[in-house]
Amino acid sequence: MADTEKILHVAIEKAVTLGSSYADCRYVEIDDESLSFSDGSPESVNRSTDRGFGIRVIADGAWGFFGSSILSESEALRAAQKAVEIAKASARLNDAPVELAPVSSYSGSYVSNFRIDPFTINLPEKIDYLENLDRLMAKNDQINSRTAHIDFRKTSSYFVSSIGTEVNQTIIQSGAGIELGIRKSRREHASRSYPQNGGQYECKGFELLSEIDFDSEIPRLTDEVITLLSAPDCPSVTTSLVLEGSVVGLVIHELIGHPLELDRVFGSERNFSGTSFATTDKLDRLQYGSPIINVVSDPTHSYGLASYGYDDEGVKTRKVDLIRNGLLVGYLSSRETAARIRRRSSGAMRADGWGNIPIVRITNVNLAPGDKSFDDLVSSVDNGIYMSTTASWSPSDDRSSFEFGCEIAWEIKGGKLGQVFKNPTFSGRSVEFWNSVEAIGKESLWKVWGTPNCGKGQPGQNARTAQGASPILVSDVKVGA
Amino acid sequence: MIDERIIGIFGDAIKISPADQTELVCESEEFYLTRFAENLIHQNMGRSDSTIWCRAVLGKKIGVARSNDSNREGVLELIRVSSDIAKNQNEDPKFETLAGSPDKAQSVGFYANTLELPAAGRAEAIADIVGRAKSDNLTCAGTYQTSARSLAVVNSLGTEKFAQNTEYRFTLTAAASDGKSGWAQAAGRDIDGFDFRSVSQRALNKAAFVGEPIKLESGQYTVILEPDAAANFLLFLAFLGFGGKTLYQHRSFMSGRIGEKIMGDNITISEDPFHPAIEYMPFDYEGVAKRKIDIIENGVARAGVYNSYYAHLAATESTGHALPPDNSYGPYPKAMVLGAGDKNVDEMIASTQSGIYITRFWYLNFLNPMKTLVTGYTRDGTFLIENGKITRPVVDMRVQQSMLEAFSNAEMISKEQRLIPQYGALMLVPFMKINNFNLNVT
Repeated sequence: MADTEKILHVAIEKAVTLGSSYADCRYVEIDDESLSFSDGSPESVNRSTDRGFGIRVIADGAWGFFGSSILSESEALRAAQKAVEIAKASARLNDAPVELAPVSSYSGSYVSNFRIDPFTINLPEKIDYLENLDRLMAKNDQINSRTAHIDFRKTSSYFVSSIGTEVNQTIIQSGAGIELGIRKSRREHASRSYPQNGGQYECKGFELLSEIDFDSEIPRLTDEVITLLSAPDCPSVTTSLVLEGSVVGLVIHELIGHPLELDRVFGSERNFSGTSFATTDKLDRLQYGSPIINVVSDPTHSYGLASYGYDDEGVKTRKVDLIRNGLLVGYLSSRETAARIRRRSSGAMRADGWGNIPIVRITNVNLAPGDKSFDDLVSSVDNGIYMSTTASWSPSDDRSSFEFGCEIAWEIKGGKLGQVFKNPTFSGRSVEFWNSVEAIGKESLWKVWGTPNCGKGQPGQNARTAQGASPILVSDVKVGA
Repeated sequence: MIDERIIGIFGDAIKISPADQTELVCESEEFYLTRFAENLIHQNMGRSDSTIWCRAVLGKKIGVARSNDSNREGVLELIRVSSDIAKNQNEDPKFETLAGSPDKAQSVGFYANTLELPAAGRAEAIADIVGRAKSDNLTCAGTYQTSARSLAVVNSLGTEKFAQNTEYRFTLTAAASDGKSGWAQAAGRDIDGFDFRSVSQRALNKAAFVGEPIKLESGQYTVILEPDAAANFLLFLAFLGFGGKTLYQHRSFMSGRIGEKIMGDNITISEDPFHPAIEYMPFDYEGVAKRKIDIIENGVARAGVYNSYYAHLAATESTGHALPPDNSYGPYPKAMVLGAGDKNVDEMIASTQSGIYITRFWYLNFLNPMKTLVTGYTRDGTFLIENGKITRPVVDMRVQQSMLEAFSNAEMISKEQRLIPQYGALMLVPFMKINNFNLNVT
């Protein structure tokens, strides 16, 4: 690491010498391991290492960035020079200099919570784990489509800035998931996944795998797949809707997380990810949800997939209120965007690896739990629908409206679950939806659901985000198939 | 960017590999992108990187490892790691062999001018666009990127391939203060052929279109899709059904229907990497030479695209459509051409008594993959057509449509085709006039 630290300092010094008023430089090394099993055969075992550095500067009042995977002092000098050249080109169009919200300088380190480093576990043990999952899914011979996967990531980073911040971070993340199905013909097929579509990802080590109870869930999922094969489509009706926690997690992601990214609010994503209905004139005014809706950005959470100590512009993380008693009170922000609303950065600035510019990303955006058991939620509904496990999602570009699809639904009649429906969807308008939330599941049902593949930015950047959620009951939602 | 010398490094490394078969792939890129919004440049970047994959085979056991360290030591470490994975991996009984492809490849689509466009050149073009936008009280957001890419594949069966190309991409969203917006994009290999003024003017004209957007009812409409929107459907169809993996697993809407008519007579889709407008890499990530494939011919399903693994399972030959060794999607077409028709877009509009003109879709996602049913939105330039004329903007609507049905209901297809980049693909796509298209109020 000593050589790497020197390379980063060389780059910063060069950028400052060339006239940068601010510079930061990040070295990032990402080790990934992913294994999958499909229909009784190993599908893949992949390992990768990706490392490099990126320097970001403000010169002539504008941003420039250059990243390289060549780790040498001469490349650091070239990268600094390129970044400054690019910044000066940006300045040709920009009338006002970039303004940043103030931040303290830090010297520190952060290591995420984990018990067992997954990179110390040998490959045969991991393959055995997947083989066992495949065996469990194959117990019922009607199941003829099976996949299981596990993924591990270790991110080591070092951040240096011209205001004196020097931060080391090591973050370990793990994930696992299964999908099982029956494929009889092109038209007759059904499948279920667990713990959620694409699997569950957390800032944990190998211990995550033993915390997910695949053994007792697989028989239930098998029964559901068999039932789905002959189930009717979900009826089209406006009704009370109970949503399982992982579905709520993705709804939070799309309809609270994204619209509250302050760069998006200011139009930075207009050309790609879109804009936001939650504009700054609505701050402290918009009744975003019903009074039981309380949402925070919390990268300090113990196991959320977006847990970290410092963001990628050196801001120390903290818990920030986004929605309090239903009222919009905060945003996910960077130093630049926070300065525009005269607030401190929320510490949400993150980049996909070393070769991208940090942008405002969803953190652990958590909806506070309520006090209802699952039975309380269902038993309070005379006529309604319960949906589980997201299968499809499509929000409008300003996030004001949406349509989600789920893997399975049940009719709720007289406070009890009944008939199973396939291909269920629900749609509506975001603010109306959140204002129609009548009840929220209690803490024991609450979990921080990881989303390992959130796309945003140009060039496209992937981010790992998370959403804390428990099941909710929403009134007057349009459902269908 | 890595040059042809990587072939020698790979060849020497493979000689000392402990695996029965070894494959090394290097994809290298020099990439520049200027991003602007609110009429200002807010992100501006460059990046130089290489990705190296090693696939090691021991009998029927396969290990894949990836890094971005292209030094000799880094390559040897990658061989060691992938061989170690293979040793500990279970056998894949379906695996036969890596692809041997000893013929040489020649680069197409490399234009030095594209790579040499400086940041100042990109800023100058954006300043010109912003100047025109401001005079119409519009704000602009978009990107202007240039890149050069090289691909090298060497394996122990005698494959030694190297090629490079360049690419520019430009996107623009122009927005008026009342919420109306317009979109345009362009892509190509040779920057000298890029007329940014005319491309950007398309977006500016849409945003400046006079009139209050009308809110329409849910229903079935005749629509005219710009090539961006039509390309979005084409790409989603490819994802669902044109690859050898989805065909083998019977997940494709073409599974068991080869030779059957599944779209309208006027729909012909080919994968044509050598089309002069596309100039794709001449070989895939296994080093297999790409072939032109007729996927849909006059509405009839003809063939999918294959890599060596799924070609073996389907008892056919690889068509040169392997993705990187650690992907899970299987083979995929990235240079599709949707065949041109005989109309121009003005004729298509003039022939429409009542309809909707759609510039592009947003956030398409599958609701029912086997029915090719997707949901999504219209965005950045949706207009009402009345009595053969575009008359006013339309408030964006939700799309809920089977793509196969849409491609069966195409009444007209334009002569003009545009090169559309989406998700790593470069597609040549015309305008389409489609009847009975489902649009809902949001």
